[in-house]
Amino acid sequence: MLTLEGIGREDIREILDLARAFAEGRLRGALEGKTVCLAFFEASTRTAVSFELAARRSGAHVISLSEKGSAIAKGESLIDTVVTLDRLGADAIVLRHRAAGAAALAARHTSAPVINAGDGCGQHPTQALLDLYALGEALGGFDGLQDRRVAVVGDVLHSRVARSVIPGFLQAGMEVALVAPRTLLPPDEGVFDLPVLASVDEALEWGADVLYMLRLQRERMTGARIPSVAEYARFYGVSRRHLEGGALIMHPGPVNRGVEISGDVVLDASSLIPDQVAAGVCVRSAVLALSTGAVQSVAA
Amino acid sequence: MLRGGYPAELVIRHAHVLDPATGLDGILDVRLSSGRVAEIGEDLRGPRTLDADGLHLFPGFVDVHAHWRTPGREDEEDIESGSAAAAAGGFTCVVMMPNTDPIVDRPVVVSGLVRRVERESRVRARVAAALHVGLAGERLTEMRLLKQAGAFCVSDDGLGTASAGVLRNGMLYARSAGLPVILHCEDHTLATGVVHDGVAASLAGIPGSPASAEDAATATALILAAETGARVHITHVSTALSAALVGFFRDRAEITADTTPHHLTLTEDLVSTLDGLYRVNPPLRPEHDRAGLGPALRDRVLDFVATDHAPHAPEEKELPIEEAAPGFLGHETAFAALYTELVLGGALSLKRLVEAMGSGPGRWVGTGGTLAVGAPAELTLVDLAEEWTVGSATLVSRSSNSPYLGKTLKGRVVGTIVGGEPVHDRTGAKFGARA
Repeated sequence: MLTLEGIGREDIREILDLARAFAEGRLRGALEGKTVCLAFFEASTRTAVSFELAARRSGAHVISLSEKGSAIAKGESLIDTVVTLDRLGADAIVLRHRAAGAAALAARHTSAPVINAGDGCGQHPTQALLDLYALGEALGGFDGLQDRRVAVVGDVLHSRVARSVIPGFLQAGMEVALVAPRTLLPPDEGVFDLPVLASVDEALEWGADVLYMLRLQRERMTGARIPSVAEYARFYGVSRRHLEGGALIMHPGPVNRGVEISGDVVLDASSLIPDQVAAGVCVRSAVLALSTGAVQSVAA
Repeated sequence: MLRGGYPAELVIRHAHVLDPATGLDGILDVRLSSGRVAEIGEDLRGPRTLDADGLHLFPGFVDVHAHWRTPGREDEEDIESGSAAAAAGGFTCVVMMPNTDPIVDRPVVVSGLVRRVERESRVRARVAAALHVGLAGERLTEMRLLKQAGAFCVSDDGLGTASAGVLRNGMLYARSAGLPVILHCEDHTLATGVVHDGVAASLAGIPGSPASAEDAATATALILAAETGARVHITHVSTALSAALVGFFRDRAEITADTTPHHLTLTEDLVSTLDGLYRVNPPLRPEHDRAGLGPALRDRVLDFVATDHAPHAPEEKELPIEEAAPGFLGHETAFAALYTELVLGGALSLKRLVEAMGSGPGRWVGTGGTLAVGAPAELTLVDLAEEWTVGSATLVSRSSNSPYLGKTLKGRVVGTIVGGEPVHDRTGAKFGARA
């Protein structure tokens, strides 16, 4: 599980069905006897915790590794580190790294499956899967996503979440539009080929059922790509008045309150943000189970 | 004789109407009604008429580059005097540059200027906001809020943008904000002097800036315009190479470009006077550059003319050239200088000159520039036969730093009408007072 680019609709459906089975407690102990190594070489709260819970609750042994406490701090290379984990008997390596392509590089050198838990501005596939799961729960299942409109708002250019969630939404049959200033978008053609809208207001006029807000990183707030937080929040932020038409709000976290989402919206009833976090455990259990071969399919 | 009146209707009779946008070219009558061109034909009559026998009637001129020094240097020019100077030059619409004090980089400054223009300007005036905060070339301005406040475009005029990275992001963001970008192309690592780095500067011992300072920056701006898809206008092109670069990118980017009356008519020879009056940025160039700009304008490689009207107080110009402030007055002499030097000199047709001053920039600002029926009644009456000598007493501007001082030019604006109302009127002086 390295990327969501190129993953088909039926594969996604299978993972989400399996996640539901985990959520309903039908697959307790599915990972018994397996060893899952969590190699998080970049800060993480929800991804790290939910992977750990996903592994433990299904009975796996968990070994956690961070950059500080590992030989990476002594200068060991990424490849040597994952080869070591592989030879020590990891059944799955969950990797978070600051550089795009790190997970794919690691996977080329291990026999254990590598699960990408976020690589730089590259991909964050399990985030996209849990988003589809949480949204499906809200809209009557995976098929309920068909023909719904989702606006992906914010720093698409630097977002690994965007690079995973956009193909995910498209596979689910959703219509996708981007909302961002051109300084935070990839070139017009050949990347996403999606409509570009000028503001959250315009996204709602377009008929967005879902506003998927991306995190604006602090270092982008200094004037090089956006003039000011005030202008960004005015055109690319969600505030209470945007909720009147019933649109759902999503955000992969962590949220900059008052920047991409005003504080009183984060935990509003129309916000799926807590549901997204909650979906992380069962979806990651499903991904671990499929990757390690612990479960062949939902039927098993 | 029209001053003070606000005629609901006016018929201008027997003018030679020349309007490149509609193709009109002949002796015709024009009826203006309720601020619009109502009718064009022969033998039109009405309660008020103006006999324009012997005069030419053009679409109002548009100047996309003016410094009205407001706020901050109202001793040099303000909205009233700047717009009066524009009207005296036949301009019915002007774009005000943002390098004032304070710099026009905040929405509150823009909205304040827009309100003042409504009250104080004789002609239409659009506000250009700064492309980056303080025109310091680092942080982008709040272009979307600036646009909401009434900004018409953004610009880095005065200094340019040192960092190509900032310029690229500025273009991308301006595209998102829906604002065109007017660029002053100058590379400050090359532009270290005060005049063109040529023979005259070398002989006089004055530090020069090479043409490459403009050409390299122009190339950068054009490449970035093509890459970002932004709507970019390159202002005051002064070299033959920069004009050729614009031509190369004509179909590769959404670009337009202007050159100035002074770069089309004057050369670096004036540097040998050592007179601070003749310092301007970009500097006056050698004859081969000047001679290259006329054909570029004629062939539409350069889209139109803008004056870069830049008033300065005497204490900023009556100085050694190295210490003088750069800039020339432009509004009042633009048509006459270009008519005298280029049209009468055979380098440019009158029709193309009217297009380069009226319909071309009019299309760019989206208003005026045509005498089509139904269009806003914004027009300019010119006496092509009148000879006049440029002197500080004849200039309406609050300043008098015109490079044409003392020169005798042919062709003079005798009337300017904005929204159907006369904002400049010498027809009385021309024909004698009439009822």
